[in-house]
Amino acid sequence: MSEEQKDVVIAAYLFEDLAQKDFDAVLKLAEEKTITVEGVVLVQKDAEGEVQVTETGDHLGRKGLKIGGGVGLVVGLFAPPLLAATAVGAALGGLTGKFAKHRLESGIGKKMDEALPPSSGGVIAVYDSGGADTVDKALVNAVKKSVAQIEGMSAKKLKAGLAEAQAGMGG
Amino acid sequence: MSDEAIDRSKLPIRRPQFQGKVERTLDGSQPDWNYVAPIPAPEGAPNVLLVLTDDAGFGNPSGFGGPISTPTLDRLGEGGLTYNCLHTTALCSPTRAALMTGRNHHPVGFGMIGEFAGPFPGYSATLPKDCMPFPKTLQGNGYSTACFGKWHLTPDNVQGPSGPFDRWPNGVGFDYFWGFLGGESGQFDPVIIENNTAIGVPEDEDFYLPDALADKTIEWLHGVRAHGSDKPWFAYFSTGCSHAPHQVGTDWSEKYKGKFDQGWDKLREETFERQKQLGVIPADAELTPRPDAMPAWDSLDPNHQRLYARQMEVYAGYCENADWNIGRVIDAIDEMGELENTLVIYIWGDNGASMEGTLTGTFNELATLNGVPLTDEQQLQLVLKWGGLEAWGTDMMGPHYSAAWAWAGNCPFQWGKQVASHLGGTRDPMVVHWPKRIAEQGGLRPQFTHVIDIGPTILEAVGLPQPTHVDGVEQQPMHGTSFLYSLDDAAAAERHTQQYFEILGNRAMYKDGWWLSWMMPRIPWQLDPETLKRFAPGVWDPESDPVELYYLPDDFTQAKNVADQYPEKVEELKKLFWEEAERYDVFPLLGGLTGFFGMRPPIPAQSQFTYYSDVQNVASGMIPRIFNHSYTISADLEIPEGGAEGVIVAEADHLGGFSLFVQDGKLRHTYAFLGVLEFRQESEAPLPTGSVNVRMEFAADAPEPATGGEVTLYVDDEPVGGGRIEHTVPARFSGYAGMDIGRDNGLPVDRNYADRSPFVFTGTVKKVVFDINPHLTEEHEQELHEHLEQALAGQAINA
Repeated sequence: MSEEQKDVVIAAYLFEDLAQKDFDAVLKLAEEKTITVEGVVLVQKDAEGEVQVTETGDHLGRKGLKIGGGVGLVVGLFAPPLLAATAVGAALGGLTGKFAKHRLESGIGKKMDEALPPSSGGVIAVYDSGGADTVDKALVNAVKKSVAQIEGMSAKKLKAGLAEAQAGMGG
Repeated sequence: MSDEAIDRSKLPIRRPQFQGKVERTLDGSQPDWNYVAPIPAPEGAPNVLLVLTDDAGFGNPSGFGGPISTPTLDRLGEGGLTYNCLHTTALCSPTRAALMTGRNHHPVGFGMIGEFAGPFPGYSATLPKDCMPFPKTLQGNGYSTACFGKWHLTPDNVQGPSGPFDRWPNGVGFDYFWGFLGGESGQFDPVIIENNTAIGVPEDEDFYLPDALADKTIEWLHGVRAHGSDKPWFAYFSTGCSHAPHQVGTDWSEKYKGKFDQGWDKLREETFERQKQLGVIPADAELTPRPDAMPAWDSLDPNHQRLYARQMEVYAGYCENADWNIGRVIDAIDEMGELENTLVIYIWGDNGASMEGTLTGTFNELATLNGVPLTDEQQLQLVLKWGGLEAWGTDMMGPHYSAAWAWAGNCPFQWGKQVASHLGGTRDPMVVHWPKRIAEQGGLRPQFTHVIDIGPTILEAVGLPQPTHVDGVEQQPMHGTSFLYSLDDAAAAERHTQQYFEILGNRAMYKDGWWLSWMMPRIPWQLDPETLKRFAPGVWDPESDPVELYYLPDDFTQAKNVADQYPEKVEELKKLFWEEAERYDVFPLLGGLTGFFGMRPPIPAQSQFTYYSDVQNVASGMIPRIFNHSYTISADLEIPEGGAEGVIVAEADHLGGFSLFVQDGKLRHTYAFLGVLEFRQESEAPLPTGSVNVRMEFAADAPEPATGGEVTLYVDDEPVGGGRIEHTVPARFSGYAGMDIGRDNGLPVDRNYADRSPFVFTGTVKKVVFDINPHLTEEHEQELHEHLEQALAGQAINA
């Protein structure tokens, strides 16, 4: 399998805290270098129906963005312009490190909004396809998962992968 | 007219002899005012309020040790008597038939439910004229009578305006009816029947059926008294709670947030301890164990534990609301100053708590009832799809909780609804309150009683005989035994000493404390074809089913099977059961939910059904039989200049149904496959104006259950669009929601027009024609016909 082959997974949860738990589990795998993660995003929909990005994680298993601009999560897949254009849009704003409480504004965000009921959560992760089984097991509490594969990293490919994964979530 | 002068043995009571004198003019004539007086009830006859809840368990209400707060049931018990050995038949319609007629359910045609009338005397779903319900006796003897809520005794195929109405509530003794005829109703979107008319889905956004039932009852009571009447009244308050769909506002369900996180195993133990403390079960009773078919709570993952806990929170809130509404009725009677001489009989459940939600519970019980297999994972995903846990209990779902909660709710007994062989299916709480007559307050009555005893008890209490004739038809004697004798004597020897039980092949025989259980070897919620095949004619031998024997005076909960110790008693009760079964039209045993497998009704002659523009609320069991084969829907429309939009024809809702409609100028068809999948087709171009014919043609892949097929949309015979429907509904879209022309009443089939419901068509629908047999060959038709009964078998649990 090519190292450039990546999986894009979208996982939906009935409960926020279980999404958080799986999000942490994936990050731990990254931290332990069990898998190679390009980036992970935890989104939550509150009781009022607002969808927000509450946490992000990078390839080193670090939460949030303590990296200012250009390293960690931002390097590679979730480089600010790319991320802004794809998964969470304006959520990362000006890379201030305040990732919570921002509404998803991109197309994928809207679809996640539709897919998630109130007080639920979702995880979006991009990782080397070789870690697929491991990630699948880590997302143990997901009620629904959809995976797409992309060859190599680019904004265009990531968008396509996210769209394909989202389509797999169905109604 | 003096009471002695009235012959009440035959109904209607004959007009009295004129006691005055008639001359050619008033000069010399002597009046007889008794001649124009209505038939009086017996002197001092009490009012009677009969309350029945639905699908509720012995261990649910707080007065019986349960976790659900039921202050009304509790206070009536404290002020009256609590009966802890009241039995039902283990299924909805059969219990209601027995309750209303005072006779066993099979001989009055209700071995099964009203939706599933069959070709044998015990299963006709048709109340015989020689077993008239006892409300007719009250009505004919000076009572005002009314029924509110669930009826479930009108056959499925006669629930429309063409009647006949002789088995609707008004036809069997009720002056007034307000409720629903079938086995269930949505709590937010019921199709209300008032007397003999469907008045449709209430449009009030805050409408909630259980509340409205109490409102209507109180309104009726006030109305009876407002017109100067001193007649006693009889009210049958038959709330649809706690039958699925379990729907209630969050203000009720939130009261129970976190109350069931301990799970069903622990809940059952807690309930059992409270039952002992309250004394509603003996101190030496044993708690029966969890059957292997149900998982231990601790074995579940967090997703399932939390989902299941939410299921029970909603159920508990739903039940507490029902009890609160019953309390409102009681308070109204009290406020009217009439509680003292009102006999209140409050029965908590027409059978044990329902296990029909399967182990996972279901977001839409109709998916289960149609035999659509959904895995645990799919159930979770569909909960997610329709709004997550917050939506469980709203009208976005038609939910039913896990079978294991029902088992917990039937504490301390085994099994639940449908299982007539065990107390979990048959025994329910009852309280009796009548201050003027009952001296003891808070007493317990352990005598064996059954719902067939209710009619005889009420008639004895009000001083009326069982009529020998009603409307010229000689009546069969009631089978029940009045338990009035027990009101004054807790230790009185029980008089109802023998009773058979049978529902869908599960059997029991009770005699003098002994209880023979003869349960089919089938998990009650299993409906898969392989399971059903085991009980097909020629395969199933009921004699070979395992038997259990219990002696209830020493074993209240059926925890100690003593069949091996008393083989002679087993044989005696087996023999007695077969004798009783023959005597009471129990034969032929149906073999579980296989229904009348292999015995096909005549092929219907009618294949075209025409509906004009003003037809609404066609009963869900009476829509054209479009299931499992090809069909077309054709509509003649008048579309004004500028276009039109709205619904042409729609059945039911997003949890199962179809809608042919116009939106954004295009002809559209949406088929909702039980909330699991949606299939949509649309025309490529806008509809023309003027007189237009539109048609939806469904070409089935094969005439078989749940067949897929191709949809083609036509405008003036030209194809304009289409698509595929991968799966179709095999038996029924909804348990209650109706079909409408020119609009989509109640919940919408397609959520895309939800904000415009009922999305009335803005042009004119001249007529809609269903052709349910456009493409079948004779061979196909016969094959399909053979499938029909199998497909309908699933409905049998919708009780």
